[in-house]
Amino acid sequence: MESSSTSLASLTAEQRADIVLDVIRTRRVVRRYTDEPVADDQIHRVLEAGRWATTGGNRRIHRFLVIRDPKTIRLMKMISPGMLGAPSAIVLICLDHTAIDAEQTREEHSSGLVDVGTQAMNMMVAAHALGLGSCPVTSFSQSGMSTLLDLPRTATPLLMVLLGHPAPHTRVMRRGARTRLTVEDLTYWEHYGHTS
Amino acid sequence: MSAETAVTEDEAFELLAHLVASAELCIREPYYYGTFRLIDAASKLMGFMLSNGADTEHEWLAAFKEEVDTKKEWMMWDREGYFAFLQGATGSVAGELKRRAAASI
Repeated sequence: MESSSTSLASLTAEQRADIVLDVIRTRRVVRRYTDEPVADDQIHRVLEAGRWATTGGNRRIHRFLVIRDPKTIRLMKMISPGMLGAPSAIVLICLDHTAIDAEQTREEHSSGLVDVGTQAMNMMVAAHALGLGSCPVTSFSQSGMSTLLDLPRTATPLLMVLLGHPAPHTRVMRRGARTRLTVEDLTYWEHYGHTS
Repeated sequence: MSAETAVTEDEAFELLAHLVASAELCIREPYYYGTFRLIDAASKLMGFMLSNGADTEHEWLAAFKEEVDTKKEWMMWDREGYFAFLQGATGSVAGELKRRAAASI
């Protein structure tokens, strides 16, 4: 990693921004994967990206559970209607109540849910940079997942990041379907409603 | 494919898990997600039926499953097209039901 860090540091801010923004812009949710396993070192790099995500007050109240066993993944899929593909690995982000107690914080603090999003997004961007496909999934049964994975009562499963090698797929669009939103569609300047 | 082999016990349990989990999710998710869960369940059922029978006997089923799998995803980026598809989908099934009923007379 030393060499890539060194080469990145030698770039101008503009060049670094181009690289980062290109990775962000070209990432898509991937729901079709090949059977090829995801290498452990790739999973580690994805996890590292999640670890470096911002968290409210630098609280670390989440834990990542990595699942690679195909049989377990198949069972997880059965109780996860939001999981459309068959990934090779899953990172399950859990709220850890032991950590919540240690942090002397409150579970219902909404930034805890925001943190799940920032961690998942970092992981998905890293996965894309590594040539992997990823998909966030919250549409699963929490009680079913806790039972399947023998989670302790102190862990609440919140979000899965699916990982795998993307399978070739062409998205079929309806003629006349709505086009993508632009930055201008989403942004107001200085006052809500002002577009310039 | 005979009526006895349309779905194996393992496949039935898979469908059961999907339907029960979907029912739970309908409590907290947008209403139109429920339509997606049902049409996705229909796709799973068709997949099981096709895997247990000769594809050549089920051209309509294979074609309808392909259409469902393509258009169900429109729910995420083309809701108007997705709803229009759903409104016509039952007509497709009804046509096949009618054909099967006529064939069994």
